[in-house]
Amino acid sequence: MPSLFPVNDYALIAVILGMPLLGAFVNGVWGKRLGEPAVKLMALAAIGTSFLASVVTFFALKGTVAADGEAKLVWSAWEWMHTTGGKNGVSVPIDVRFSIDQLSGVMMLIITGVGFLIHVYATSYMAKDEGYARFFAYMNLFVFSMLVLVLADSLPLLFVGWEGVGLCSYLLIGFWYQTSANAEAGKKAFIANRIGDFGLLCAMFLLVRYTGALDWHGISNGAASLLNPGEGARVHVWPLGGGQYTGLLHFLQPKSPVTISAATAVTLALLLGCTGKSAQIPLYVWLPDAMAGPTPVSALIHAATMVTAGVYLICRLSFVFVLSPFTMMVIAVVGAATALLAATIAAVQNDIKKVLAYSTVSQLGFMFLGVGVGAFTAGFFHVFTHAFFKACLFLGAGSVIHAMHARIHDGNASQDVRNMGGLRKWMPLTHWTFAAATLAIIGLPFTSGFFSKDEILYRAYVDHTVNPMPGLASRPHGGVFEPPQWLGPVLYWVAWTAATLTAFYMVRLYLLTFWGEFKGWVVGRPSMLGWPAHHGGAKGEHHEEDLSQPGYAPHESPWQMTVPLIVLATFSLGAGVLNPGFGIERQPMEHWLEPVFHAASEKAVLFGHGNDAVWAADMMWKLAAISFLAFAIGTAIAWWMYIPSRGEPARRMAEASPGLYRLVLDKWRIDELYEATVLAAVDSLAETSAWVDQAIVDGLFARLTTLLVGISGTLLRAFQNGVVHVYAAFMVAGLAAIGWFFTVPHPAATVVDAGNDDYVVTAAPGIGYAYRWDADGDGRWDHEGFEQGDTTLKLHVEPGKTMLVRLEVQNAFGLVRAKKIHVVARPQAPISSL
Amino acid sequence: MESPETPVFSHEDRASWQARLAVIAVVAALAALAARMSHEAVPVLGAVLIAALVPRQHGWTVRVPLAAMAGLLALFVVRMWPDVAEVADATATSPEGGHILSWMIALPILGALAVLVLPRQAEGAQRGLTLVVMLTTLGMSLKLLSVSMGRGFHFDENVAWIPRFGIHYHVAVDGISLWLLILTTVITPIATYASFGSIHARIKEWCFSLLVLQCGMLGSFVAMDLFLFYVFWELMLIPMYVMIGVWGGSSRIKSAIKFFLYTMFGSVLMLGAILYLAYDYARVSGGPPSFDYFELQRVLLPLHVQGWLWAGFTLAFVIKVPMFPLHTWLPDAHTEAPTAGSVILAAVMLKMGTYGYLRFSMGLFPEMSAAWAPNLAGVAVLGGIIYGALCAWKQDDAKRLIAYSSVAHLGYVMLGLFALTAASIEGSVIQMVNHGVSTGMLFLLFGVIYDRRHTRQLNDFGGLARPMPVYAALFVVATLASIGVPGTNGFVGEFMIITGTFASNMLGHFNGVQATGAAIGVILGAIYMLMVVQKMFFGPVSEKNAKQHDLTARELLSVAPLAMLIFIIGLFPNVFLSQIKGAAARVKDDFDSRIENNPPPMFYEGPTKLMPRRPEAPQPATAAAAPH
Repeated sequence: MPSLFPVNDYALIAVILGMPLLGAFVNGVWGKRLGEPAVKLMALAAIGTSFLASVVTFFALKGTVAADGEAKLVWSAWEWMHTTGGKNGVSVPIDVRFSIDQLSGVMMLIITGVGFLIHVYATSYMAKDEGYARFFAYMNLFVFSMLVLVLADSLPLLFVGWEGVGLCSYLLIGFWYQTSANAEAGKKAFIANRIGDFGLLCAMFLLVRYTGALDWHGISNGAASLLNPGEGARVHVWPLGGGQYTGLLHFLQPKSPVTISAATAVTLALLLGCTGKSAQIPLYVWLPDAMAGPTPVSALIHAATMVTAGVYLICRLSFVFVLSPFTMMVIAVVGAATALLAATIAAVQNDIKKVLAYSTVSQLGFMFLGVGVGAFTAGFFHVFTHAFFKACLFLGAGSVIHAMHARIHDGNASQDVRNMGGLRKWMPLTHWTFAAATLAIIGLPFTSGFFSKDEILYRAYVDHTVNPMPGLASRPHGGVFEPPQWLGPVLYWVAWTAATLTAFYMVRLYLLTFWGEFKGWVVGRPSMLGWPAHHGGAKGEHHEEDLSQPGYAPHESPWQMTVPLIVLATFSLGAGVLNPGFGIERQPMEHWLEPVFHAASEKAVLFGHGNDAVWAADMMWKLAAISFLAFAIGTAIAWWMYIPSRGEPARRMAEASPGLYRLVLDKWRIDELYEATVLAAVDSLAETSAWVDQAIVDGLFARLTTLLVGISGTLLRAFQNGVVHVYAAFMVAGLAAIGWFFTVPHPAATVVDAGNDDYVVTAAPGIGYAYRWDADGDGRWDHEGFEQGDTTLKLHVEPGKTMLVRLEVQNAFGLVRAKKIHVVARPQAPISSL
Repeated sequence: MESPETPVFSHEDRASWQARLAVIAVVAALAALAARMSHEAVPVLGAVLIAALVPRQHGWTVRVPLAAMAGLLALFVVRMWPDVAEVADATATSPEGGHILSWMIALPILGALAVLVLPRQAEGAQRGLTLVVMLTTLGMSLKLLSVSMGRGFHFDENVAWIPRFGIHYHVAVDGISLWLLILTTVITPIATYASFGSIHARIKEWCFSLLVLQCGMLGSFVAMDLFLFYVFWELMLIPMYVMIGVWGGSSRIKSAIKFFLYTMFGSVLMLGAILYLAYDYARVSGGPPSFDYFELQRVLLPLHVQGWLWAGFTLAFVIKVPMFPLHTWLPDAHTEAPTAGSVILAAVMLKMGTYGYLRFSMGLFPEMSAAWAPNLAGVAVLGGIIYGALCAWKQDDAKRLIAYSSVAHLGYVMLGLFALTAASIEGSVIQMVNHGVSTGMLFLLFGVIYDRRHTRQLNDFGGLARPMPVYAALFVVATLASIGVPGTNGFVGEFMIITGTFASNMLGHFNGVQATGAAIGVILGAIYMLMVVQKMFFGPVSEKNAKQHDLTARELLSVAPLAMLIFIIGLFPNVFLSQIKGAAARVKDDFDSRIENNPPPMFYEGPTKLMPRRPEAPQPATAAAAPH
């Protein structure tokens, strides 16, 4: 094996990447002709092979871990392009090169593993959809793009995957494109992601300029220059780009220019990209709408993999992010705020997928909080566990929707928890797996979610990010912002509240779906009913049924759907052993990832209280107990509200403050806020531009000039009236004008630089002209009389001085006209010898 | 033409299956043979086979040409692969004789004359001749690829034309004009072939115009004598004016005149500047005037004189590009032009402006170009990339929208030129080609639906993805290229331009702001192009749209090569960049050497003088070459 795939030319990566691409191509081009079984085979074989190759690769990677922890498998495909960067404008090659290290190895396994399970699930879920082949083509293409994203060895290549997953997400959200709302949601997702991509583009041009590289190794080598003020790596925020505002704009000039370090600029730009992809404030609004896509898509793309790309990127470039404690603080604050905001919204939603969508946004907020406080392993571990339990939840929800679809064909009604209830009787497997995943996400002790979330909360409290290069602080502009000490506890309590809400809304969802009475339709006795008429999971078929008639009980899903659920539920419960925390010796995940994060977190992330390790260890158990309370309180309230009280308290609360309830139900009307502010501004700007373009620009350059030409034509035409008297009159007037011109002298002169600051002034000749000069401009003529031959005057003018020369011309008729001439000597231009 | 009701396989089809299998077997045998002969054959045959298998509803009349195109493009990539090309260059001395450039210019003109003598009724012969001439020109242009371009000029031909005024027939090609030439020879046959599906009146005149137009475009890209350049520049104008005015839409006359007057206004000023420059050369050198590019490049003018001449040239070019605020002729011209006219106008003729600015404004007047670069870059970003995109967003007419998107895209190209870093110039040149490919494809595709529905209003469409899935897929591909999704060609150019812009020190302290502004264009591009896709293809399908049939063989064949090129440039840009690199570096070095000696803000204000010839300029014409 080692000889077949050497570390520096690990061509097996081509298989990992190539199989999903092949699947996408085959299903996309020939899918319609192949038929469902062949499409299914192609898609599953593609992802399955990719998964097997990933497992092999993972163990190969494990075998190459060096003594210092370094492990990297590299495969260079071909040279892609190049650009200009660095301090001296050198050529920076950008190659199509992939690499696998510990971090991307884990991601690769999640993507192909969870991806394979979801593909298996989808073969049944999407059965009989007319876009079956198209669906799997997109899904395979998505897996390919996501693998490119994590395996890329440079930022531009990562960007290929980054945009690729955005594109697949766009195509899959709008999969049922004939409903405008779906296509609209896809567009919204793509554009929100594009705003993030804008940030990534900005980060790339900053990085290539300041570090002279875009591959991970090169960036890490040049990263120090992002913070080193000696190398001019300051980005001028105000005045824009540097410079001075003068004149009318002077009031805009600040006392001292506002600058940030290049590290902060780069990381903030990267963060914008990450918030777009990972659905954080301010760009989270697309993710809930993305639930318009088929449910397996929600599970794969909008829960388990794509949306974690932002967290992955922060982890990947952790050594850049830690250079800016300010950005780290922003990440943590954004994460905590998003976690809380999304949790509040999730607590009142009635659509099963919407609840899970906001739950995803909220959990991503936890991950951001984790990486933002410098606990990269903890944040990434939450990515890992979340992939299992959220995929399980979404697939479970899909299973439920699939059952509801048997009689409720309206997309919204079939997903409404108010139509569900009591499903545990009929769908035992779905119920138990859903319950397991719910327990994991709400943090029941010893499930995977408990370990990952608890670690994040704990580290949020005790960690403190500091300037990793304290030596710079003494230099001018070397000061680096550091977050205040009180931030940790604040973040902790915000996240604690969000965790409580998580427990509440997840238990609420679980209880409403699986407990109580079934409210979808009247369930009749099988013997009284005919054969079920409709039995497909596909949407888009609209024939309403009379739900008051008794019908079959909701059915459990086929094995293709339940087996993935069982596997995912097992991992949801058990994956925590990989990183149990609590000072336990055996921490496989942390140990595995340590080489990736060690350099970044060593100097930049300390414990609070002046790096007090004893205090931190002391806090561990106290905080764990408080975190357990979050789980207990949330669960207990939800139980009390929905089982003994049958939802009565919730109704009363909603009635008590209907305004607030509507506001939260409408997602705090953030979408409307965006529409009224940013979108309206851009929209009216575009309207104005389009109007200006037609009315002013075109009016000025096309219509006004046409008009002027037209008017002058009309005016001139008036003279061409064919009346001889008029023509004769013009001739006389013209002759008179010419006559006058010749009777008056016309003084004119040219000044020629003769070198050595000497100038020669030459008067223009004319018939019978005589000249007299006043060379020094003192008002007295050099000679009183006019002389015919006196046409030139030589002068010497010092550089930078001005000299006034007067000239009078007398013609043969004795008429005299005068002219003033300024002879200005320029300062000597720096003309070098050539 | 097939209609959707026709079954995909009839009985005859089944009967001939065995024959087809035999054909496949023969092809496979040939493939195996070829694979043994050369390692190049494997990717080529792979491409051929895949392309032959892809089309769903078409027979061998489509599969074979498609396979041929794919094979040729694969061969092109394999042959031009940077390492391979360098090795080949080292071993073989490049034959540059044969007057290829002259033949490329002459052939379309000869073809045009031949079309004139054909009888009017023989429309098939006229069409066939036109295509044969264009494809021959394409074949000849591929011969140019046998030479590694490097920094210099190649296929240089320099013959005295009007010796009394120092006017020469001087043509040459370098890494910058190479791809623009090939773009021209690729796009014109495609546009011509596609147009035969929709133009049915005055075929003779149509073919004549197309051939003359091609001659003018090719000549402009290779002319190294300013007088000759001007002749071709004006020659190009007339056929396009006629094409819009005769075969255009409802208000075609107005648009044609607007197009003509705008362009003419600029060119007349350029003519004045050319004449002044030529006679200034005579004054300084003491010899006869010269219109030769490499000689005129030697003239070092004081800044205040340079300003006027630079303005004359630059005005002509920015009108052609077009840059804000001189762009309003473009939407009108595009809207009224027939599909082929729009394609050629967008794909090639607009590049005349950017190419001209790079070659002439920057080559002849570096000081003035440097002085104006920061301001013009601001115009390119604000007035082009952002304003153009915002205007595009608010158009209801699809062709107007694509026209405004051209304004935005060419804003990137101009920004790259103003920034003047190695990467940004290369990015600009590749972006010129990219825009030609992707916008050309968009216009072609829109022409398809226009021929069916005879409306350009976006709101008249909707849900077309259902009746026309192949069309929708190809349109989405063109859209992705247009908004610069990585992996397609658009990204390569934009990325190089944006990163190159930020690395620039030509733009003063505004390089960061301008790079950011250019990056914002990426968002806006997605907004307006996705709106088009949304309105045309998604949502419920109306009855009129539901009956439309998918692409015909002609439409598919004309679009396919462009779709392939989108991915080839996107994935293997080095194939193209390796030829551009040297020329871009030369332009930058020429520019920098002048600016270093005459630094800003004064630049140069002394008397006009002659500098030495630039090292990469081809040998001047010998006295023997000039007839006495």
